[in-house]
Amino acid sequence: MDYAVEVKNLHKTFSSGLFRKRRKSALKGVDLMVPKGTIWGLLGPNGAGKTTLLSILSNLLTPEKGDVRVLGMDIRTHAKDICGRINLSSGHANFLWSMTVRENLEYYAMLYGLSGEKKRRKIENLLDLFRLQDFAKVRFEELSTGTKQKLSLSKALLNDPDLLFLDEPTVGLDPDVAHRIRDMIQHLHDDQGTTILITTHNMKEAEILCEKVTFIMDGRIRAKGTPRDLKKELHLGDTIHLAFQGALPIATLQNMEGIDHIEMKDSSCRIRVDNHRERLPQILDFFTAQRIIIHNINIQESDLEDVFITFTK
Amino acid sequence: MRTYLSHLQSEITKTRAFAFKNWIMAKRNVFTLFEILFWPTVSFLSVGLLAEFVELQSSMKAFILVGVVAMSAVQVCQLDVAYSLLYDVWSKALKHGFIAPVGTRHMVYGSLFIGMVRGGAVFLILVGASYVIFDFNFLIPGAGAIVLFLMGLFLSATMVGILVSILVLTVGNRAEVAAWSLVSLMLLLCGIYYPVSILPKGIMTIAKLMPLTYFLEYYRAFYGFDPTFSHVLIKGYVMVVIYLFLEMYFMKAALRRAKRKGILLKLSE
Repeated sequence: MDYAVEVKNLHKTFSSGLFRKRRKSALKGVDLMVPKGTIWGLLGPNGAGKTTLLSILSNLLTPEKGDVRVLGMDIRTHAKDICGRINLSSGHANFLWSMTVRENLEYYAMLYGLSGEKKRRKIENLLDLFRLQDFAKVRFEELSTGTKQKLSLSKALLNDPDLLFLDEPTVGLDPDVAHRIRDMIQHLHDDQGTTILITTHNMKEAEILCEKVTFIMDGRIRAKGTPRDLKKELHLGDTIHLAFQGALPIATLQNMEGIDHIEMKDSSCRIRVDNHRERLPQILDFFTAQRIIIHNINIQESDLEDVFITFTK
Repeated sequence: MRTYLSHLQSEITKTRAFAFKNWIMAKRNVFTLFEILFWPTVSFLSVGLLAEFVELQSSMKAFILVGVVAMSAVQVCQLDVAYSLLYDVWSKALKHGFIAPVGTRHMVYGSLFIGMVRGGAVFLILVGASYVIFDFNFLIPGAGAIVLFLMGLFLSATMVGILVSILVLTVGNRAEVAAWSLVSLMLLLCGIYYPVSILPKGIMTIAKLMPLTYFLEYYRAFYGFDPTFSHVLIKGYVMVVIYLFLEMYFMKAALRRAKRKGILLKLSE
């Protein structure tokens, strides 16, 4: 399998203070393999090491120890070659404040060596793609947060990167704008096959976009896999809410296979099961056999947020 | 051949990017108007009027006006070189620049170009003002000498601008103050208002290490001032070229250190 990112035993320590050195380990032996063409999520609480890892991969920070290969090249020896084929867009986008949207794109396009007609066409395409034409002559400092974010994504696509790093791309955005940005990311991946490594605090976003995710905490990888795998690994299961009429023999129900926990409240209960698709028919059969009338059924599947909470507990 | 041409075109485009940035930012920034009009003119007029008041001989007046005009051109040009990094620091966009496949050379050459345009504008304004207000002809040494003098000034300015960038990359944006203060040291050491021969011995040794000292001596020689040192033009150019090579090396080293220490990221926050 071809990998866009190969990280083995990566360490990074920051030191501060002139005389009394204070050292803080940001990454403590991180391993990460991201196959080409995937959208991969990097999740974890604040200070977990996500941005540090992304910064090392984008050549803004030097690794201290370990192997880092990006697009098959060693980051230490081929930084320049790698730079031309990757790009980065971060939340809380910041660009040159006095420049307009078009001027900012022109500047960054030139940094990637684009000039003349090629540059003009690329910028026009991106302005169209992100619906930025109306803002082309507006200065960066006058843009809304959502438009700044669109500019940041446009800038990140100037060099048609093979690998794109998105650092919290929807942070601080209104839900509708965040939704549109997510759509754009998905289209970008579907249309161009770009490998995307995304960090986010928004678990729903990760679940929607990412094929696989890696949880990082305190500088170490805690888990990786598909959202479904992770839920399974943590035995998070699903919750079935039932409102009913009648006497429920809890002890018998609790002994049924696949039922982890039952919580009663008046004439309703919350049953945590390993998989609601398998267990619900059995539970319904049980209720029917007991002549209990069900008024309402509500199923709550566990999601990445539950995985996140479980890991950070 | 085609690969070489495409590489060359890419190099020029990347250099043009930095010139484009400095040009747009300067165009939109009211302070830059102050930098090329207000401060140089105020400084020039106050020194020129003082020279009139104390009834200096015309040769002495020439000595001082050459210093003031040179200093103003150096100040504006070096600011542009330093601004190339500082604009990104102030707008917290540094990481977007450094993630791109560009080198420090593109940054320096591109910003120097705009620095020369702005420094050249200051030079022309003050040369014209010298003639009109103080009856001093700055053009006596001839076109060749003026070009050599100006190039010396701009290269000296580049030296200061790169030093500011090295300091910012090394200690963070606290060092931005150097963009305005380093030139004041040159004012003291390079003989802007007085010949370096009057400096105490220890300080004169430092003056000897500053290329601007030699470029000023070179130009003043056309107005009858014998240089304190020999072969001033050669010494000035050799020195400035060596310093620039060293600085480019140290700037790359500072960038590597900034990436190692995380300073680059801090400057982007």
